[in-house]
Amino acid sequence: MPGVTAMEPACAKTELVPKWRIDVSDYVAAADISRDGTMCVLGVGNGQVVGVDLATGQQRFALHAHGGGVLGTSISPDCERFVTCGQEPSARIWSRSGELLRELPGGGASWVEHAAWAPAGRRVATAAGKKVRVWTEDGEPLVETEPLESTVSALAWRADGSGLAAACYGGVYILPFVSGAKARQLAWKGSLISLAWSPDAKIIACGSQDSSVHFWRLASGRDSQMSGYRSKPKALAFDRESKLLATAGDATVTVWDFRGKGPEGTRPIQLQSHRGVCTRLAFSPRKGVLASGSQDTSVLLWEPRRSTKPSRFAFLEDEITALQWHPADGGVLAADASGNAAYWETSG
Amino acid sequence: MKKIPVTVLTGFLGSGKTTLLNRILTENHGKRIAVIENEFGEIGIDQALVINSDEEVFEMNNGCICCTVRGDLIRILGNLMKRRDKFDHILVETTGMADPGPVAQTFFVDDDLRDLFSLDGIVTLVDAKHVQLHLEDSNECKEQIAFADVLVLNKTDLVTDAELDALERRVTSMNTMAKVLRAHNANVPIPAVLDVGGFDLDRAVATKPTFLEPEYPFEWAGTFEVQEGDYELELGDGPDPTMDLVSLYLDEGMQAHDRPAAERALRVWSEPAQEVTTEAPSVERGAGQAAALQLRASGTKRFGLRAPRAGRIGLYAQHLASEFALRVLRGGTEVTPLTEHEFVAGHSHDDDVTSVGIHLEGAVDEDRLNRWVSELLREKGTDIFRMKGIISIKGNEKRFVFQGVHMLFDGREDRPWGDTPRASDLVFIGKNLDRDALTKGFERCRA
Repeated sequence: MPGVTAMEPACAKTELVPKWRIDVSDYVAAADISRDGTMCVLGVGNGQVVGVDLATGQQRFALHAHGGGVLGTSISPDCERFVTCGQEPSARIWSRSGELLRELPGGGASWVEHAAWAPAGRRVATAAGKKVRVWTEDGEPLVETEPLESTVSALAWRADGSGLAAACYGGVYILPFVSGAKARQLAWKGSLISLAWSPDAKIIACGSQDSSVHFWRLASGRDSQMSGYRSKPKALAFDRESKLLATAGDATVTVWDFRGKGPEGTRPIQLQSHRGVCTRLAFSPRKGVLASGSQDTSVLLWEPRRSTKPSRFAFLEDEITALQWHPADGGVLAADASGNAAYWETSG
Repeated sequence: MKKIPVTVLTGFLGSGKTTLLNRILTENHGKRIAVIENEFGEIGIDQALVINSDEEVFEMNNGCICCTVRGDLIRILGNLMKRRDKFDHILVETTGMADPGPVAQTFFVDDDLRDLFSLDGIVTLVDAKHVQLHLEDSNECKEQIAFADVLVLNKTDLVTDAELDALERRVTSMNTMAKVLRAHNANVPIPAVLDVGGFDLDRAVATKPTFLEPEYPFEWAGTFEVQEGDYELELGDGPDPTMDLVSLYLDEGMQAHDRPAAERALRVWSEPAQEVTTEAPSVERGAGQAAALQLRASGTKRFGLRAPRAGRIGLYAQHLASEFALRVLRGGTEVTPLTEHEFVAGHSHDDDVTSVGIHLEGAVDEDRLNRWVSELLREKGTDIFRMKGIISIKGNEKRFVFQGVHMLFDGREDRPWGDTPRASDLVFIGKNLDRDALTKGFERCRA
């Protein structure tokens, strides 16, 4: 998109230079970077899962992981294994070198659409249809929920791994993994399509099909709704302080500030440089730099408290479909709908 | 990027949906098809991607517009697009008892789906043998017929031709816009169901210029040969207190129900009718004036009908001749008609689901039209299943074309009117539609 390339440098100062760039030949639907910052795993629309060395961009393995397109990838915190799921009724656990360790049956005809490794506690969660299942890191079944009100649309672990949240039409279900704690439901008559759990574990925010963001403060159970989006907010991200919530339903990135009495009654920060719908958002884990990816093929970096102009920019060739930060802010990984993936170093 | 067409297959259990699906999938058409089906589906075809789905219907409130959508479709179709080589066509099979409204509305309200997919058509399979039962007691059955772009009357081998004709009349009176196909074993030509363009404004208007053909206000027409002289019109007791009647001479060889003759009768009909009671029997002949026969008195009623010259006449009656045992007599002897024709009445007596077509010459005022439509959709949106129209707006050189599903509305400017006479045509399909109120409401929009 030459028109877009020509316009961006006017507002973003620096173009990021990719450390590496590869082509995995089909839609990248999911990506994860290992906590040790050495590798990334890309889930691809042709059913492949590709492991890439983060420092060099060298391909470590390419697995025919799923019969249909891959929908989710998640690496264990000890970086020894990863889980993948896709358009078929089973998820799979693999070793870091790509050997199949275990097949996780979905228990029905539904696709396993979500898979997430707990940040701590050696558990992995999958969701297929209306059920959430939790497994040990070896793939032994731990929990299988009753069918929720409707199909699970998003999964997120509590930062310490002691709870799991699942969103669907009808609200958010929280499964605790501490003895004695009870499951909890945050009811909401709406179709929730995305979910983010703040790093301090105090807030759960969801994007809703009716073009709003709904969030709950878990201590009080009080919920609020942010409306005024022009379309459904698919992308959500909390910063590491749990004070900023970045959201996007169209080309504008809307950032809500939870300091003081906010965000209720406050005006959000509006970041307007994308020329197409913003599809992915991620805050860097250390410095709180916001990365946003868009249908217009751009990746922009922002420091929302300092400026409403992006500080750095980069482009791929198609809609940005995956975006992930290095665990120590070393760089940002993005991939697109045509199979391009790139890693840009951002430190220094 | 070309949008991927989506075909929705509806129909009661046993109507032949699975048979049609399997036919579509095995036919060598070179298309890559993904099928989203409900849990009861039995597709044994390998080359298609078949996705099972629980129908998840939920209500969505976006500002003042309220609608129900299929959440599972949004999710599954979104996921299906996560690959570079896309599908050529998507088939959505609904469960037998499903209301097709939510499926259609999903493609109107979800931004992602609207960008990537186009709803090509709703195809409803009808079990010709058993549908009568369902029509009596099932709203879903009526809705499936009302929503359809294509109605496939299937299993025709199990009913007589007369039964089939009656069924076709009935479903057409409920849904005048649908194309009706007859089949046994769902053997319809594949392009007739996969390439419909039912929600494509260009195609809906371009390929079916007669879809907005005005309905006739008369249900029955008879052709008679007459000699010069006096005739009698005999009516028994019937369900209505009055009946309008038009009589006119036909050109040679013409039958009363032929289009040009019916159009002439329509023009006479649109003039105020003259009340005629049994006490003062004198039906004006020729292309004069409609007679409003007053039928309140019980028993047999006779009206005079004078033919000033020999020839062929057409009689057009507001109600079916059979309802009133209508007969034409000369000197006490019945004159049998050369032909009799029952028109598909928009205002069918026995179905609460009907089509209402409105034709209005000239142009309408845009503001008045907007006010009327928004009020109508707010109040009656749940009862209006589908609507389509070509509107002539005053001051605009271009045709305005639109279509809608319940409260959702999609319209835009079309090609210029040019030399074609300016007129507006609207069709509503829905339940409990008030034909008179709709017609008057639209007439008040006249510029």
